[in-house]
Amino acid sequence: MKTFYVNARYLIVPVMTIATILGLFIGNSFAWLGVILFGINTIVDTLTKNIHLRADFDDNGNSYGIKKLQYAVMYLMLPAFIFLQVILAWRLYQYTSVTSFETLSFLGLSYQSGISGFNLIGSVLSAGLWAGLGIIYGHELSHNRKEGFLVSRLIMALSGASHFTYAHVYNHHLDLGHEDDPATAPRGRNVYSHAWLSHAGQSQYSYDLEREKLKKQKKSFFSLSNKWILGYLYSLPSILLFVWAGGVLGVLSLTVIWAISNFLLEALNFMGHYGLIREKGKPVEHRHSWDNDNLFTSWFFIEIGRQGDHHVRGETYFWELDDVDAPNYGIGYFSLFVLTLFPPVFRRFTQKLLDDWDENKATVAEKEIANQFKNLSIS
Amino acid sequence: MFSLFKKKSSSYSATLMPSGKEIRVKRGENLLTAALSAGVKWPYKCRVGSCGTCKCKILDGKISPEIDFGYVLNFDELNDGYALACQTALKTDIKVMVNLKK
Repeated sequence: MKTFYVNARYLIVPVMTIATILGLFIGNSFAWLGVILFGINTIVDTLTKNIHLRADFDDNGNSYGIKKLQYAVMYLMLPAFIFLQVILAWRLYQYTSVTSFETLSFLGLSYQSGISGFNLIGSVLSAGLWAGLGIIYGHELSHNRKEGFLVSRLIMALSGASHFTYAHVYNHHLDLGHEDDPATAPRGRNVYSHAWLSHAGQSQYSYDLEREKLKKQKKSFFSLSNKWILGYLYSLPSILLFVWAGGVLGVLSLTVIWAISNFLLEALNFMGHYGLIREKGKPVEHRHSWDNDNLFTSWFFIEIGRQGDHHVRGETYFWELDDVDAPNYGIGYFSLFVLTLFPPVFRRFTQKLLDDWDENKATVAEKEIANQFKNLSIS
Repeated sequence: MFSLFKKKSSSYSATLMPSGKEIRVKRGENLLTAALSAGVKWPYKCRVGSCGTCKCKILDGKISPEIDFGYVLNFDELNDGYALACQTALKTDIKVMVNLKK
């Protein structure tokens, strides 16, 4: 029973992604289902903000997580996200070809053929939000074996962010908490500028990584061994699909989807490390990440909030990550995400927590760096 | 061709040089994790194959790199058989040279 509970609780995103796909397929107001689910999740996350969880292990210290099942789910999310884009492209095609409105049936399921402009907006927003939330699988698989790494790259490519997989492992995990890591937001930065700076910085890192590697291998930069170029080529089918389905409107829709999904990805990076400081070259420790162990966040985001443990034991499966007494916001990611959208509110919220970090967790050298921010009146 | 049908071993041994200490590395486990579990003071930092701290030299035997070592190890190191222990699974018993922490 415990095994079932531990494994089933991580299925919220797959189930809701399928619901979003079905919503797009059924059409009408159901096209907004993905947006509505995002709103409901925010409410549930806020209502359960005081419930914190630890990882579950049996008496022998073994995890209840079933690796084969969890991996199968993560791998299956790739076709699910592809399907999400295909369904949206179909709706775009219907809109641009002015398909007449009528109720039809497919395998016993009634759906509306044809879509209004308003519901098309709902479809695009729904697809963007769930493509973005699905990035948690791209993250988890970036730390795993060859085939998992490739699936991660392909999932990220659906959001035009295949460079993430390399930058995350070789840059973020190595340079965390330091200015060399574009994914760590320094104090005073807001989520909007971070989204762009982190995205562009990680792509630049991946570009430099490939340039150096190919130089060492005496290969041309313009080669299929170039993983930076290859990553963007993986995104090409999405671009072609949307151009075919909607022309200029298709390109605009894909741009919105990529903007939303990358914004959510970078918001996760933002929340994971905002304002925390590490001296270059010093070991990454639990105090260099914000933990998030709220019930709904833990289940929904497949424990991605356990950043403290993850950054010290990067090879550990998500279901085995645990509380490590890292700094903690105390509220879940959905609630926190809403705060990040209002930078002055977010800064006020984190001020006390960062002061506490400086006082009780920072080393002398880290405290000195924090003081440099304070001297510039950045908090 | 019959090697294709050979049953894979559930674990392999890694002999750590220069001490000669032998550890077992289970299938699905990496060399660093097995060494740390056996109480070996193997140097490491990131455990995701990005820092190079757990670098070691494979003297004998076959390994399966779990990621491309080419981003962290240079050309000469790759040619000399260096590997990142945190991203190394074993395909046979191996002998490996590592500078352990004092």
